[in-house]
Amino acid sequence: MKYTPRQPGSNVNVTPTSPLRELFLLTAGLLGMVIVIYIVLGLAVDLIVPHISTDLENKMGGLLVGSLEAKDSDSKRGTHVRSIVEELQDRCARLPYVFKVHIHNSPTVNAVALPGGHIIVYTGLLDKVASENELAFILAHEMGHFAHRDHMCGMGRAFVFITISTFLLGTDSIISKMLANTLNLTEMSFSRKQETRADEFALETLYCDYGHVAGATDFFEKISKAEDPGKFGHYLASHPENRKRISHLENIIRSKGFKFGKPTPLPEPWKQFKE
Amino acid sequence: MNNLLFFLTLIAMGYVVGTLVEKRHYRSIRDRETKFLYLPAVTMKTVTSPDQKVTSAELVCGSAVISIDYFKRFLASLRNIFGGTVKSYESLIDRARREALIRMKEMAGDATVIVNVRIETSTIGRNANKKGVGCLEALAYGTALTLEQ
Repeated sequence: MKYTPRQPGSNVNVTPTSPLRELFLLTAGLLGMVIVIYIVLGLAVDLIVPHISTDLENKMGGLLVGSLEAKDSDSKRGTHVRSIVEELQDRCARLPYVFKVHIHNSPTVNAVALPGGHIIVYTGLLDKVASENELAFILAHEMGHFAHRDHMCGMGRAFVFITISTFLLGTDSIISKMLANTLNLTEMSFSRKQETRADEFALETLYCDYGHVAGATDFFEKISKAEDPGKFGHYLASHPENRKRISHLENIIRSKGFKFGKPTPLPEPWKQFKE
Repeated sequence: MNNLLFFLTLIAMGYVVGTLVEKRHYRSIRDRETKFLYLPAVTMKTVTSPDQKVTSAELVCGSAVISIDYFKRFLASLRNIFGGTVKSYESLIDRARREALIRMKEMAGDATVIVNVRIETSTIGRNANKKGVGCLEALAYGTALTLEQ
């Protein structure tokens, strides 16, 4: 047999392929997978949360205590807020929690419910309230989130998201740290249904405690009148439109025949208290 | 955000530069393969000519270390999640082996034939880069025979 040297016609070892097309296909597949995992785990969290005991929740909340207490500013206003919470819990909202109120120095007009009975109240909110009833309604609203375990669902989803990002990018990645920081806040926002249920709970509690519902809608009225929407952007973003909430509350007040009374004023030097 | 931008820049750079470098390398591989067509490199252990005709027999080897670009490495790590043919590594191994064969032939000089050719592949710098295969070495070796015409 005669040897005739020649080049092979085609290269069988290298698949003719478009790497860019492969990249887009794989990335799309990966994104789809992440989205599916997020949805499935999120649903799982919603299913599991009602079965988590308050004991376990308090332990989880214990992880947060350190970072919360570091920012705590103890004050006369804080003491007053705590006494309102205690009174609400003793008389009307009998929840299996030991509530811990944290006052944080921040212009944010908001209050946040965290696992383990932690309630963060921002000083921006304390500056805005005009009567004790108004403040009690907001605190009862946060307690309503505890009553329905909404805060756990919020935490759960945030937890899932952070887990996914740490899994993909690693714990040291700046991106996952950034995600963890921002998602804690945004994921803590509750759905409209959860907010509405917490509103209803707050209204019942307010009526039970004071015998009338004065001040229930004050806070939302105030916000919808405010000219600067940026200031309340965060609160508005995480709570359904205030008009709707006010009219929903007014409907309940009318149908249940709740009476309006004289709102209890805040202790006199309220505005002068500085943290 | 900066991290992400940095990452995307690396990917884009890896794609553009990597593709250009690969094309150039393949062109050079084809040219040199054509140049060395006269020298067969076979896996047979013997030649049919009688022993007296073999004037010299010596070990020849050629090795090439080729690295993969950032884009292909990223593509391969994506492929690792789903499984399947890692196409982005195929050209890396192909280039390394052919380059090694060509270098072996260069070493053989004016030999008539290279018999008993073997190709071996090993990864390099695996510990330095924990993200998997970064670059690999292909080593081709055989016995170069010079036959009396």
